[in-house]
Amino acid sequence: MASIADQGAPTSQAELLYQAQLRKVRIFRMHVGITWVALLLIIVFFFSGQNFLGIKTISLDTDFISRNLSFIAGGLGETIRISILSILLAILLALLAALGRLSTFPPFYALSTFYVSLIRGTPLYLQIFFFFLALPQIIPAWAAVPGLWAGVLALGLNYGAYMSETFRAGIASVSKGQREAAIALGMNPGQTMRRIVIPQALRFAIPPMGNDFISMTKDSALVSATGFVHELMWRATKVGRAQFNNLEALIVAAVFYWGLTLILTYFQNRLEARMSKGDR
Amino acid sequence: MAPIVKVSNLDKYFGRLHVLKNVSLEVQPREVVCIIGRSGSGKSTFLRCINFLEEPSHGTIEVDGLVVAGGEKGKEHRQLIHDLRLRTGMVFQDFNLFPHMSVLENVIEGPVIVKKMDRAKAIELAEKNLNNVDMLWKKDEYPNRLSGGQKQRVAIARALTMEPRVMLFDEPTSALDPELIGEVLNVMKKVAQEGMTMLIVTHEMGFAKEVADRVMVMAEGEIIEQATPEELFENPKDPRTRALIDRYRSGSN
Ligand SMILES: Nc1ncnc2c1ncn2[C@@H]1O[C@H](COP(=O)(O)OP(=O)(O)O)[C@@H](O)[C@H]1O
Ligand SMILES: [Mg+2]
Repeated sequence: MASIADQGAPTSQAELLYQAQLRKVRIFRMHVGITWVALLLIIVFFFSGQNFLGIKTISLDTDFISRNLSFIAGGLGETIRISILSILLAILLALLAALGRLSTFPPFYALSTFYVSLIRGTPLYLQIFFFFLALPQIIPAWAAVPGLWAGVLALGLNYGAYMSETFRAGIASVSKGQREAAIALGMNPGQTMRRIVIPQALRFAIPPMGNDFISMTKDSALVSATGFVHELMWRATKVGRAQFNNLEALIVAAVFYWGLTLILTYFQNRLEARMSKGDR
Repeated sequence: MAPIVKVSNLDKYFGRLHVLKNVSLEVQPREVVCIIGRSGSGKSTFLRCINFLEEPSHGTIEVDGLVVAGGEKGKEHRQLIHDLRLRTGMVFQDFNLFPHMSVLENVIEGPVIVKKMDRAKAIELAEKNLNNVDMLWKKDEYPNRLSGGQKQRVAIARALTMEPRVMLFDEPTSALDPELIGEVLNVMKKVAQEGMTMLIVTHEMGFAKEVADRVMVMAEGEIIEQATPEELFENPKDPRTRALIDRYRSGSN
């Protein structure tokens, strides 16, 4: 521990140790970065089609890629759109399910646990097909609804069930003292929830929600299987199958998904950093 | 003079545990009552029954003419409890400021949300009370940037801004570092001097001596002794009171 007198001197023992620590972290990060670039270059090399030191690498149909790049990229917007709409639905359902789970009114509690159990007990893939293909059998008018909405419903319901657990934990993380302070001020249970508990629970839940959103952008690819939503994956498989260039098409789609994930992860990390030192 | 707080035959059970045993108390307007007693003697429960944070099992609570009986149910009863809570302000051991709101927002929350007070008017009142506890300069700060003493002063301002008839303090300085206790006690002293009726659970004997009109001793869910601080500290009647005071004197709480 540096004493008061030490703090002014830049060459104090503590300062030197701190500098060494920083240097270590920087060097570690640099090495990780270099290795990433090397791994990337190796992959690029394997798909470069070059003959190098007797290694024959895989050659990609670059012509196909340049012809279809913009068509596949056109699905990016749809992927983002379905993810955003689905996460919004999921947040709403998760909040309701979490409140139901904490309710002392049996029907609400039952509804919430029933929903979560049903959704968690069946595959997402099945749920997606249910909303696209089975639902019109029950409600014929549903067939006329754009495919996007069936996808949003399936993904939203699915993620809502999983995220309800995050919200429940968030609500449980708000201390009893917080509620008591609100009650002592004369707030009723609704006001206490709305003004005191839920805002704090949401803060707690935002980082995991960010992770869920990132997973959802990738799970949205499952929706392509039904053929009704023309997002990234659907477009990639369409042109890939039609022209027997599945390898190239899937690589292009993978690059888009990966890039999207990297961008979202960057924002997620920044958000988390801000919240951890923020006004909690 | 008519008492402003009247607790009559209060009983509280937690399951089979009989925590408050037929407790009665009258507090006069402007009176400051300090409650002392060993841990687990029922001090917090007693205070929390007065604003129904704990529902009394039997007995009645009367604050400023409003009588609420324990152990009842229904809409009317809930309305009575609500009105009772508007007449009482509470300060907790661990402050319980709302961490997602600034100091000013914390203080206007009750008036604006519960009393539906005009926001500008609430701010005016809040700023007056924050100034009173010397925390106006931190009004835009968030609670996590305040010291414990500062948090507790804001919590006092928050309770005062609801304009209660009586203030309840549950060990307001017990969570504080020793060097921060004084600033909170000073604020409480000021509130007392301004004429607020106060019930204070505390281990601060010096404060009780200086500020309290009456000190009340609890043991095993009963009030075993009450007197002016001079009388009680100099000449305790019950051996349990004597033991308690000796423990405080030796500084071991
Ligand atoms: N919510 C509760 N449920 C069960 N027992 C409780 C509860 N709150 C307090 N008690 C018990 O009631 C007794 C009195 O507690 P309390 O009023 O907190 O005492 P004090 O504030 O004097 O330390 C203790 O035995 C305590 O364990
Ligand atoms: Mg206590």
